[in-house]
Amino acid sequence: MKVGIPRAMLFHHYGEYWLNFLETLGVEAVVSEATTPDIITSGAVHADNETCLPVKVFSGHIIWLKERVDVVLVPRVVSEQYGTLACPKFMGLPDLARALDPDLPPVLAPRIHLADRRYLWAREWYSVARALGGTRLASASAVAGLLYGLEKHRVQARARPAAEGMTVGVAGHLYNVHDSRASLGLLDRVKSMGANPVTVDQVVPSRARMQAETLSRRIFWGYESRLAGAVLHWSRTRSVAGILYVTSFACGPGSIVGALLEDQLGREGSVPLMTITLDEHAAEAGLITRLEAFIDMLRRARRSSPGGLSVGGAQGVRS
Amino acid sequence: MNINVPRCGSLQFMARDLCDRLGLGYVETPEYSERTVEIGVTLAPELVCFPMKVLIGSAVEALESGADTLVMVAGYGPCRFNYFAEIQKRILEREGYRFRLLTFDSPRDTPREFYNNLRALLPESRTGLVGMLRQVALALRKGRALDEIEKRAMALRALEAEEGAVDQAAAESREALSAAISKAEIEEAGVLARRLFGRVALDDERPHLRVGVVGEMLVSMEPYFNFDILNWLARRDAAVERSLYTSDIFTPGGHPVLGFDDRMIESAASPYVCHEIGGHGHVNVAATADYARRGFDAVVHFFPFTCLPEVIAKTVFVRIAGEFEMPILSISIDEQTGRAGMQTRLEALVDLAWSNRERKLARGAHARAAAGA
Repeated sequence: MKVGIPRAMLFHHYGEYWLNFLETLGVEAVVSEATTPDIITSGAVHADNETCLPVKVFSGHIIWLKERVDVVLVPRVVSEQYGTLACPKFMGLPDLARALDPDLPPVLAPRIHLADRRYLWAREWYSVARALGGTRLASASAVAGLLYGLEKHRVQARARPAAEGMTVGVAGHLYNVHDSRASLGLLDRVKSMGANPVTVDQVVPSRARMQAETLSRRIFWGYESRLAGAVLHWSRTRSVAGILYVTSFACGPGSIVGALLEDQLGREGSVPLMTITLDEHAAEAGLITRLEAFIDMLRRARRSSPGGLSVGGAQGVRS
Repeated sequence: MNINVPRCGSLQFMARDLCDRLGLGYVETPEYSERTVEIGVTLAPELVCFPMKVLIGSAVEALESGADTLVMVAGYGPCRFNYFAEIQKRILEREGYRFRLLTFDSPRDTPREFYNNLRALLPESRTGLVGMLRQVALALRKGRALDEIEKRAMALRALEAEEGAVDQAAAESREALSAAISKAEIEEAGVLARRLFGRVALDDERPHLRVGVVGEMLVSMEPYFNFDILNWLARRDAAVERSLYTSDIFTPGGHPVLGFDDRMIESAASPYVCHEIGGHGHVNVAATADYARRGFDAVVHFFPFTCLPEVIAKTVFVRIAGEFEMPILSISIDEQTGRAGMQTRLEALVDLAWSNRERKLARGAHARAAAGA
């Protein structure tokens, strides 16, 4: 039996653990290919037109998998941290996938609910493992491996290669930032312009959490809370020269957190922040111009004052 | 202290009633208008959803007309509306308004803050804390009675034998209800309403459609945003049911919407949506699936542009519509929505529902004839 996993959305967070899970069971896993323009187009055609870019990309990957696998694994991520919840789209993602196309292979949707410390949701993974033909022992060890991996993911930051020169914080969802097609190669472009991009997953989660708790109202989305914490950390320690806030059009949490960060950073003074909104109407030229302008501005500011540029107004540059 | 609460279904009625009971000052929220939307669109962040823009505009208008204490609800659910009060506060502060914002979370999530909010209202009110809770319960009961009147009016309006009879009964019941203060009086007003509606002459023979109205709270409940859909449908011979009522939402112990509790919502919504998806997405899918199973002729779905839970619901509606052959029209509302275009689409939906019904009847007759032969 072939189990398909779309290379989209939370695959960029938890993909390796899902693959490990399937590997322990001895089931063949098929991960869809890296996002191509065709995948984005087919996603935009099949998905509802008001969903955000990552959901459209996800739909494209599901359609890609349709003919190639016997069953699709779309875990239902309910929460990613203690005391938080995920975006509603993650909670409804399997239902969304099922409604996409009537001829779709069955969708397996075990939950991931890290806020539930009793781990009742781990049972769903166990039943999935058994349904995929794992023995009791193999299933139990696959689930244990998965839980261990998720827990590690929750507390550890991704290693960050040491690099010289100016760093730029890229605050965005991993499924946008690490998908070089959806983000139009944002990270590579920043690199080629001579700056080192740092992403949110490279900030130690406990540090981000501490910063996020200084906000006047707790952010209840798990990933966004970490993102806001990381941005505050970068800005308050001045460890980056500037911050790129990357969101997708129609992203709900992104619209709120973006407004919140703009206001908060504007009040306390911060490094420059530029908002980039992604959608499926990929316009590379516009993106390049804005990135170049932003990085040139940062570089100039560094040359004139070694401490870097500090902006007291509401925001640096908006796009 | 001049309190103001946003306008949303019967919320305004309940809030004014409660403030009268507690002896607090209350400022009526101005009716939604083009100006409300305009102010909201100017002040609110570009990509937040439409209800937030409207509520900011409405808060500004209320502050201009003398309110000094804004009351908002929030929570820790996944819908972005739950974070909105904080953003609203920051925006209005930045614009230089002086006000106080009381954000009521669900007492289950943050009991301490809920208590502190109540305490903030105490010094100016006539009652103590226990008395206040009792008055809140009474105001809710009254709100429920008002929504009850609305539900009856909606179900009967398309069938009345004499035009305006239902509206008259509703107006009389409402009048009796708004004078009610004690629990006994509220019950009495409810009995009177039932009697008044019972007396309305109905034309049972008239062919009519059954249409469900579902959607996000603000746009599905407020006639300004949904083109007064309830009356519009009633004028076209449709008995209407709506999934959401303000008083149901504020009733403790789950959402007894359409008489379901949480577990019934889950079973009605499966297999289309198998998990809570924030906002009222789950309830709306449950209600729509329920309408479909009960053989409704059409469902109209209102949601704000890019609303998170409702967009999932909309995706799933395609599946429900296909399985039950029931047309579902999803209408996305924002500051750009044009009225004429909406009219055309709604008319098309009603026509489709009629022709669908005739086709089904013909098919039934055909099957019966075949079985007889």
